[in-house]
Amino acid sequence: MATSSGAVTATAPRVNRKVLLAGLAIVLPLLAVLVANLGRDPHTVRSPLVGRPAPPFRLVPVGGGTPISLESLHGKPVVINFWATWCVPCFQEHGALVASARFLRDVQFLGIVYEDEEGKTDEFLRERGTSYPSLMDKDGRTAISYGVFGVPETFFIDPEGRIVEKYVGPLDRGTILSLVAQARGGGR
Amino acid sequence: MVPTLGRTLILLALLAASAGSIVGFATGARPNAAGWKWARRLAYAFAAFMALANLTMEYALLTHDFSVSYVAHVGSRAVPTWVSIVSLWSSLEGSILFWGLVMGVYVAVATWRKADEHPEYMPYAVGVWLACGAFFSFLLAGPAQPFGTIPNPPLDGPGPNPLLQNHYLMVIHPPFLYSGYVGMTIPFGLACAALLVGRLGNDFIRPLRNFLLTSWIFLTCAIVLGGWWAYEVLGWGGYWAWDPVENASFLPWLTATAALHSALLVERKGVLKGWTVILVLATYLLTILGTFMTRSGVFNSVHSFTQSAIGPTILVFLAAALLFSLVLLALRVDSLGSDGRLETGPSRDVMFLVQNLLFVLFTFTVLLGTVFPLVVEALRGLQMSVGRPYFDKMSVPTGVALLFVMGVGPALPWGRATRQQLRSALLPPLVGAGALAAVGLALGVRNVWTLLALLFGGFTAQVTLSEMFLPVRQRMRTRGEGLAEAFRQAQTRGRRRFGAYVVHAGAVVVIAAIAVSSTMGSSKEIQLNQGQTTTLGAYQLTFVGAEQVSEPHRESVRARVEISKNGRSLGTLYPRMSTYENQREPIGSPAVHTSLTEDLYLSIHNIDGAAGTVGLLVLVNPMVCWIWIATAIMALGGLVALVPPLRGATAAAPAPGASAIAMEGSS
Repeated sequence: MATSSGAVTATAPRVNRKVLLAGLAIVLPLLAVLVANLGRDPHTVRSPLVGRPAPPFRLVPVGGGTPISLESLHGKPVVINFWATWCVPCFQEHGALVASARFLRDVQFLGIVYEDEEGKTDEFLRERGTSYPSLMDKDGRTAISYGVFGVPETFFIDPEGRIVEKYVGPLDRGTILSLVAQARGGGR
Repeated sequence: MVPTLGRTLILLALLAASAGSIVGFATGARPNAAGWKWARRLAYAFAAFMALANLTMEYALLTHDFSVSYVAHVGSRAVPTWVSIVSLWSSLEGSILFWGLVMGVYVAVATWRKADEHPEYMPYAVGVWLACGAFFSFLLAGPAQPFGTIPNPPLDGPGPNPLLQNHYLMVIHPPFLYSGYVGMTIPFGLACAALLVGRLGNDFIRPLRNFLLTSWIFLTCAIVLGGWWAYEVLGWGGYWAWDPVENASFLPWLTATAALHSALLVERKGVLKGWTVILVLATYLLTILGTFMTRSGVFNSVHSFTQSAIGPTILVFLAAALLFSLVLLALRVDSLGSDGRLETGPSRDVMFLVQNLLFVLFTFTVLLGTVFPLVVEALRGLQMSVGRPYFDKMSVPTGVALLFVMGVGPALPWGRATRQQLRSALLPPLVGAGALAAVGLALGVRNVWTLLALLFGGFTAQVTLSEMFLPVRQRMRTRGEGLAEAFRQAQTRGRRRFGAYVVHAGAVVVIAAIAVSSTMGSSKEIQLNQGQTTTLGAYQLTFVGAEQVSEPHRESVRARVEISKNGRSLGTLYPRMSTYENQREPIGSPAVHTSLTEDLYLSIHNIDGAAGTVGLLVLVNPMVCWIWIATAIMALGGLVALVPPLRGATAAAPAPGASAIAMEGSS
């Protein structure tokens, strides 16, 4: 035992450059990418709109009624949730949004329907209940101005009307609470 | 009281692992009996403390001790006892505690089994294992502490993730996965020891291969169980989505499979030693990368744990392990040397090499696709997903090529083959190839890749079966033994060889089943009123009505759907939507009618009991159950190869020198 390990230490360690360089070429970029992404929440998308004033809109609620405009909600934090009845994650987060809207009285929750029919939407809301208005975005212009590329996407807007955070994917109550707190404080 | 006990046990495990690691390395450098004794003792102590810490947590979960932070986080009085027990691995901190237990068991078993063998390697191996153990103990002692104290314990907790309670597969999938993942620590330690000693002989490649194979069996089962779970639970009708977390389990599987094959070349020819060690090291490092991916919150996935602060800690460990491995390799890989030469020309040797390169290529492809979105995100701030198209485009040709190699490789003889040998090896299996492809064509397969998979699958199946029974035929011919006796003898003597071909047979079926199920299915989405009937292919489905089902931990609305095929009734399926105690959102559970040829798969989109309507996703998935069956065959083959040749058989062997290796080469 002693002889064999002695024999190994006796041969001066030669560095295999090829192995070392090839290894480093794989390992270092991989580590760099992982470090760069650490602490990133994959659900919050860095949108160029964050920090900017929220694009205005004036839309009619599902089932008709007086149009609601973003301007009229000035002074309140606003949560805008783009959703559709065909989207499974929207279905998952619906309960959390309805409950939060009931609980957070000082915050205006709005749904904006993304590429869906009014009839289906109406039926969905009647079946599953809601506590805030959902608006029909018939020609999809509002979704385009908000840069929506998939549902659900939710925007958190401060009382001044600036977008504080954009969240992609289904929300849970904890996330809603913490993002609303950011919107109340006017962002970071 | 309980939290303090738990924390103390974890600190003791950390202490034992750190001390044992240092003693192990020191003993490796300066061999002495006392040091080795202490290294072993500390390895057992680490395992014991981890086991006790896990028992403590189980006790807290079962007694609903909400003063323990983890119990307050995942426990609930409303859930059945079995859910309380498996809650141990249902959430982040507990899963790492469970990880510690699995690791303790592996380290203790490996130390105990090999304590008297390989004296120059083992202290180093124990040193490496316990260094890894120390890291996970540290994780538990700090960033992922499961035994935090809750000063004013709540009366009840939220219960574990409802997905865990939704299906029994979620109960058995994580233990398999951890046994596969954590088990890779053992070959990692052995490979590091081989590098540190500077030698990888035939005596040492065997334990390395056996531990690698053990973990490989678990990992194979875990990957497919994960797919099965997704299929039975998630409701989109598929079993694999190239999700980052799925890839995380697939990556080490690929390199481990490559290593198992190259280890054979080390054993037979004394070549590819450094390469094999690299593959084993890469396998372990990929499991750590996978752990990071699942638990750091960096990757967006349906399977991942919620965001946590332990990401940076795991990343530091990953970086340290990567650099340690790399420096060790660069310094020592040359000292392993090589005892032989690899054949060039067309031979089984070269096909081994091709197989290895294909697996490594596959690994890089999947790794790149998994990490690429992060690169884009980091460089340009854009979010994008590589998604299925990339993975499908890359993996289909690679999979088909592997199938090809799996057939041609074993058909070819070792060493250089003559033209005559080539012809007699490669021509007969074309019958099998043609037959299977013809069956596919007759059944309506038109997709080129699927046809290729069937063509190569038929070729490989014939080669595999004929190789599997070659020793039996040889014995019957040369020794005049009867079929049963020859089979038994060939079995006991050439177990590894036989087991390996059983694995290959399973793999052929898995690949063919994946090819057929992913290209030959049909589906439709439909809204049905009560009493309404729809058809898909040969199936008729009637929505009889919606019913409410109450269980202690969940409320469900289920659709009663009567199904028949070609007018013959197949019974009733109940896809359901369940709402769990303490959970707001309902969770859909699909219902599957499985047969050997195809599955009928029903998943609810929406259901309204009052109005009597249901929205259904209906799929017909051919051959899916063969993926599960063939995986069981693969695991079984692995086990056969793992069990050491029976003692009776070795005693009966004519010459003691004729080892199992020689037997394997007798083809």
